Amino acid sequence: MLPSCRYMPAAIEIQDVHKTFRRGVKALRGVSMRVDPGQVFCLLGPNGAGKSTLVKILMTVVHASKISGTILGKPVGHTATLRRVGYLPEHHRFPKYMTAEQALHFYGGLTGLRRRDRVLRIQQMLDLVGMSDWRTHKVGTFSKGMQQRVGIAQALLHDPELLLLDEPTDGVDPVGRREIRDLILHLRSEGRAILINSHILAELESICDQLAVVVKGRVALEGTINELTRDNRRWIIGYTDADLEWEDVSAKQHPHGVRITLQGGDATSAQPIIDRVRAAGGMVTEVTEVRETLEDLFMRALELAEDRDGATLGAARGRNA
Amino acid sequence: MIAILAILRESWLFLRSEMLFKVVMGLNILVIVAYASVGFDDTGVSVFFGLTHFDHDFVRAGTELARTLYLGIYSAFIVNIWLAWAASILALISTSSIFPSFLSEGSVELMLSRPISRTTIFLTKYFGGLIFVMLQVGVFTLGAFLAAGCRISEWDPTIFLAIPLITLFYSYLFCVNVLVGIITRSTLVAILATLLFWFGTFGVRFADDRVNRFAIVNETIMERTSSRVEQLQKEYDDALATGNEKEAADAAYWLTGPEEEYEQAQTTLGQLRIWATTLDTLRIIMPETARTLGLLHRKLEQDKDFTIQDVLSGRAFEEPGSESKPDNFGGSWESAQNKDDNEKLNRRERRRAFKQAEMEATETMIERENAIPAWHIIGKSLIFEFVVLALGIWFFRRRDF
Repeated sequence: MLPSCRYMPAAIEIQDVHKTFRRGVKALRGVSMRVDPGQVFCLLGPNGAGKSTLVKILMTVVHASKISGTILGKPVGHTATLRRVGYLPEHHRFPKYMTAEQALHFYGGLTGLRRRDRVLRIQQMLDLVGMSDWRTHKVGTFSKGMQQRVGIAQALLHDPELLLLDEPTDGVDPVGRREIRDLILHLRSEGRAILINSHILAELESICDQLAVVVKGRVALEGTINELTRDNRRWIIGYTDADLEWEDVSAKQHPHGVRITLQGGDATSAQPIIDRVRAAGGMVTEVTEVRETLEDLFMRALELAEDRDGATLGAARGRNA
Repeated sequence: MIAILAILRESWLFLRSEMLFKVVMGLNILVIVAYASVGFDDTGVSVFFGLTHFDHDFVRAGTELARTLYLGIYSAFIVNIWLAWAASILALISTSSIFPSFLSEGSVELMLSRPISRTTIFLTKYFGGLIFVMLQVGVFTLGAFLAAGCRISEWDPTIFLAIPLITLFYSYLFCVNVLVGIITRSTLVAILATLLFWFGTFGVRFADDRVNRFAIVNETIMERTSSRVEQLQKEYDDALATGNEKEAADAAYWLTGPEEEYEQAQTTLGQLRIWATTLDTLRIIMPETARTLGLLHRKLEQDKDFTIQDVLSGRAFEEPGSESKPDNFGGSWESAQNKDDNEKLNRRERRRAFKQAEMEATETMIERENAIPAWHIIGKSLIFEFVVLALGIWFFRRRDF
């Protein structure tokens, strides 16, 4: 994995992105973010938060009301740069009358791949997503999961430096999800930048390098999972055979001993407690670091947004929303 | 270029998957087989490969009339009715979904996120849609060419002119269809709006032709009656000059009819001019659908002795100089005995004059139509198409999906 270095040219670097749709629906209200090469950047947020709009803006499907920034060193909207970007839209629909192979030829052709290169890459990509046996079958007959695999194949067909995946595991079975996760990790190891937009928090947790929670068109929280969960980490220390009084920490008597909960901090903050228990002849039975889950983090971001805006979740409606 | 070819190939796959495309192709083949079943022999015309036979003195194998009839059926009926109406409506239903389906959620993102400009996507998709018509008409005209070659030994490549002309005609409608499809993203609305537009242009053209024809009839009547009024006025003046009161009274009496007729025609013409100006103005901005198709008809009948109308009306079978004359309505001005007779004669004369003027107006209209240069018809229509397409591109480029 390539380190996230601020001096490296960013794969995506955008500042102050605004999007107001017709009838005054404000989808984005000043989003800024940076995705580096070799990084998996995850976008989280409730429905209508503006995540897909942001991705669509990057892919020129939606026009931003205001934007400044670059994709792979070129201004956002630079058509030729899209040749270096792979995109899997949410709820994508392939022409039903095409076979998997024809669809990939079509999208490869749109990206400017020559037929000779396409033939080779299509075979590789279909093998990669496990769809080689279905190459001559009509896309219209495929299940959601199969279509998703073909979708990933088309996004990777032209060997992109940057990948934007909108709900990549949507409709995919658990085995397929694991395969996609492994594929993303493999692509990251090749130094590609990957922006993932997903609702499935559990599967993001293991692959995310950087995370942004978008709520009501704004980034409510951003950072690495470690950074974001650091302040909400807990240490639980259990002990027996010692009769101690605690003033600064929360200690509760349990059937099998006493349990102390330390809010925040790292392993060093637990050491004085352990030392004191041992000094009193007690036996430390448990030392556990309890991290905030992505779900907790997500909910915290929503609460923060609620406190900030005092309005309902989802896209803000109306100019004064 | 690779991207453009990819879009065109996708259009072809789309059309090939459409059931209507196959249905229209099948119907086209049926129509052309029916056309090829018409043949000529030494005694007349045979239909359905000899199943039915009509004896005819003039329309026989090897005659100019047989040739005119055969090519006339192609240009006036098959092209103008089948291809221009029935096949075009079916084509419209088939191709109307091209843009709305491409703009549907999940599909449009896959296209717009490619390194290809929206204008190129739009235009390639548009011309891809026209491939439908080109293919259909291409197969059709090839069949007609072979049929004409085999049946009347006429290997006339002019027949192939139908391909660009029908495609052009269709493109005037398709651009409207695409514009509405992009704005509404609804196939049904796009079809209905296009049909409405099509019938609108048809209605305006029909009304304009009728108004202009009627205006010509009234101008002719005014021209005729004014010379008769002048003549009677002179007779009246002469009678007065010679002191012949009876003749002067007669002349004054005869003057009333033509004068009334003249004034009536003048009033009608004044009313018609307002409509004619309005309709002409409307027609300036509308594409010339019928006139574009008429170019094929005009080209096929160029420098020919007879037209299909001559054959169908029987004019082609008349001896030279035996053209039908206006009816003798019985009686003459000289034989009129009383006022009733005179009024009857007046009415008859006016009816006769009106009928004659109508015939002349029809001919004038045909002459006027034929005098309009092809570049004017196509150029004006292409300007319309260009404006509509520019509007469509503008919408497509600035729209969020």
